[in-house]
Amino acid sequence: MPADIGPTDIAVVGFAQMPAVRRSIETEVQMLVPVITEAITMAGIDRREIGFTCSGSCDYLTGGPFAFVQNLEAAGAWPPIAESHVEMDGAWALYEAWVRLLHGDIDTALVFGSGKSSASEPLDLWPQQLDPYHLAPLGVDPASLAGLQAQAVLDTGRATERDLAEVVARSRRNALANPHAQLRGEVDVDALLAEPYVRQPLRRHDLGPISDGAAALVLARGERARQLCERPAWIRGIDHRTEPHLPGLRDLTTSASTALAARKAGYDGGPLDVAELHAPFSVQEVVLAQSLGLPEGTDVNPSGGALAANIVMAAGLIRIIEASARIMDGSASRALAHATNGQLLQHNLVCLLEGS
Amino acid sequence: MSVAKEDLVMTHLVSLTYRDTLPPTLNRFVDGLFDGRIVGHRCPSCRRVYVPPRGYCPLCVVTTGPDDEVEVSDRGILTGFTVITPVAYYGQQATDPFVHASARLDGADTTLVGVDITGVPHDQLHMGLRVRAVWKPEEERTAEGITSRGWGGVTTFIDSFEATGEPDADPKDYQEHMF
Amino acid sequence: MAERCAVVGVGQTHFAKRRDDVSMPGLLREAIDRALEDAELALADIDAVVIGKAPDAFEGIIQPELFLADALGATGKPLLRVHTAGSVGGSTFIVGAHLVQSRIHRRVLAVAWEKQSEGNAQWGLAGGRSSGIGAGGAFAPWIRAYIERSGAPEHVGWMVAVKDRKNACKNPYAHIRRDDITLETVRESPMLWDPLRFLESCPSSDGACAVVLTDEAGGRAAPRPAAWVEATSVRSELGQFPGRNPVRPQAGVECSADVYRLAGITDPRAQIDVAELYVPFSWYEPMWLEGHDIAGPGEGWKMVDSGETELGGAFPVNPSGGVLSTNAIGASGLVRFAEAALQVRGLAGEHQVDGARTALAQAYGGAAQYFALGILRSEPT
Repeated sequence: MPADIGPTDIAVVGFAQMPAVRRSIETEVQMLVPVITEAITMAGIDRREIGFTCSGSCDYLTGGPFAFVQNLEAAGAWPPIAESHVEMDGAWALYEAWVRLLHGDIDTALVFGSGKSSASEPLDLWPQQLDPYHLAPLGVDPASLAGLQAQAVLDTGRATERDLAEVVARSRRNALANPHAQLRGEVDVDALLAEPYVRQPLRRHDLGPISDGAAALVLARGERARQLCERPAWIRGIDHRTEPHLPGLRDLTTSASTALAARKAGYDGGPLDVAELHAPFSVQEVVLAQSLGLPEGTDVNPSGGALAANIVMAAGLIRIIEASARIMDGSASRALAHATNGQLLQHNLVCLLEGS
Repeated sequence: MSVAKEDLVMTHLVSLTYRDTLPPTLNRFVDGLFDGRIVGHRCPSCRRVYVPPRGYCPLCVVTTGPDDEVEVSDRGILTGFTVITPVAYYGQQATDPFVHASARLDGADTTLVGVDITGVPHDQLHMGLRVRAVWKPEEERTAEGITSRGWGGVTTFIDSFEATGEPDADPKDYQEHMF
Repeated sequence: MAERCAVVGVGQTHFAKRRDDVSMPGLLREAIDRALEDAELALADIDAVVIGKAPDAFEGIIQPELFLADALGATGKPLLRVHTAGSVGGSTFIVGAHLVQSRIHRRVLAVAWEKQSEGNAQWGLAGGRSSGIGAGGAFAPWIRAYIERSGAPEHVGWMVAVKDRKNACKNPYAHIRRDDITLETVRESPMLWDPLRFLESCPSSDGACAVVLTDEAGGRAAPRPAAWVEATSVRSELGQFPGRNPVRPQAGVECSADVYRLAGITDPRAQIDVAELYVPFSWYEPMWLEGHDIAGPGEGWKMVDSGETELGGAFPVNPSGGVLSTNAIGASGLVRFAEAALQVRGLAGEHQVDGARTALAQAYGGAAQYFALGILRSEPT
């Protein structure tokens, strides 16, 4: 084993995702079965070797209490497995699995995330995530809040409406090369700017689509990762940080928690080949990139990002998968993947990935 | 100055609408129910029969499909039960004690959970009782109660199960497949 | 070699049917402030927060920990929300312990809670539909199977119901504290889910529990005796499949076997001084005694019948009063670990088991398919 890889070094060694779609006719479990199987197959391990399984999902998104329990049927949970679940994006399930692997007593972990946003109306559903005393009764929806954020950003002069449209255009163009993306194509920036506002200054295309989908990956530790994979995507650092919930208590034009998480994860501001940022609203990609201080020449969201496919509860995990894919295929050496939880970038995770 | 307790409590009634899409697997299951047939899936790997079909075998983690369809009987064995006294809550319509039972249909390896047993006094319910489906008349059958998550069971096609009058099943026939 | 993890602070709210004297943030802070006071630490000393609760439909807020971030002292810190059904309080503890044991953080706050009076738990358990069976309805057929297979007399369930409520009278935080309860009052209470009667079932409680976890240095420097996390384990299995035995779930058997192995326990009945087991319905006490190999097959009910599981008995179970006396659903699993910690710290007050040095904490959830177990000790080994 090379000197710089130790027993607490953990890498992504396999992954899979299904193409994001506006509405899947299959159940969430049916979506997960082939995705999990494919991730395990790519990793080259037997299902029974997996030492720990962790998943992310949201009961309210699926439409019922304990909804996550059924997803266990896709996870090979017989004979019994060591398993856990977070009511968060799969990126945090990855975090929990990474922590578990650090113990050193198991070598591999399976992580997955899934969601069917098509089952509900997102703008009706997600207000339920807000402070029940002060915000939810106002009926603000996520797009309205993002609109407030966007206006605040424009007011700082650090971005223009054209900049937002260019984020969207680049996302759709990048997505042409991504078989898992939902919205892809060449779009003209001026044509985008001619569209009406839905939540001024945001237009329909500034919001991520409604998507159904699922994703999974396999982590392996140290020597085992080396055995399984020519070029694993090593997790060099991973951290996550929270901000206050109420929008009025923080500066919506920066993402302080993302910058902090990046620092804690060990990001030194140096060159990056790829940054996959989980930005369900175009303005948030601008905020994140600026807060991270991404160097010039960083390829931001080569996958198309969450504006091209927005599988809630898996979109963050997919950022890590997309970054890992580019490490593993040799096209990148250093990548940063980001995931967000809650609205207005309240809670953020940063994962630094490297090839060896 | 103290605040009255009723001023501290705010009622916030929320209504959320979900659109449940039945997968092709369940659509075919529903088609069978309209015709009075109960059709499950046999796992191509372990050969176990799942009713209702899920489109996969959770033990082998392989997908199953129309090629794996197998019709099972509408008769079987009462393998587990309780009698539930309803409690009031928003949306509750039940008022009288009702049976919540599991029935293993002949030919199936899973049980149908949440079926009602009629025609048997509650204190005579016992495991091993041979039962048969009491189907709703064809014109009353509806798919409205079927969900992709299994809630509602088959109650909009089959009202309940009743005793067939046959001798009780041998425990060996259901002990391994009770729940 | 993993870092040692110690419990240095425990806090619980006074559990009640309705805590309408506090908001959700207030409820959490009551438990958190007590835990920090016990540990003589402040929120600023905490590196990360792990929080667990039952399905969000019970309060009607999606991921409430987000709006509660300030109350949790989580701003600027990592925040993980665990959700593993009824076992969640236990897995919350375990995830928190892992963060310390893997040396990522030195001090972690683990919190679990439920303010279910703000919603309706029966509605939640029914998935918002009519004719809900509740949790008891799902378990009753399995309990019936246990009673038939073991030949246990019907009064065993009533004995557990009486024992736990009387134990709760010695626990100032418990919800149901009934000194007047007798086998007769249990037997005469209304049948809810045949064979389970009203007084054999857990209450619906509001409340929270918080635990401060530290590394070895923190454990040794703590102002009061620490409880040492000797071993933890989680196991899950499918909830329904051909051949499943939900009466003695394999995941439960394997989880306890794992935790005993890690803790060097070869004879749990002799080597464990006290157990806090998740018993929301009376018969789950004998069922878990067997389900975790403390008693042999068909022998669990005899441990109850002989009085062995009483507070003064040879194998006390739920000296706190258990889930039968207090059930804020999301919190209950963590309360088991917290009470186990109090026992081996010698801080359980009136419900202290004399000389308790090794304690078992157990939480389960879903269709008796999720298990989170831990062994806590007075001294690290």
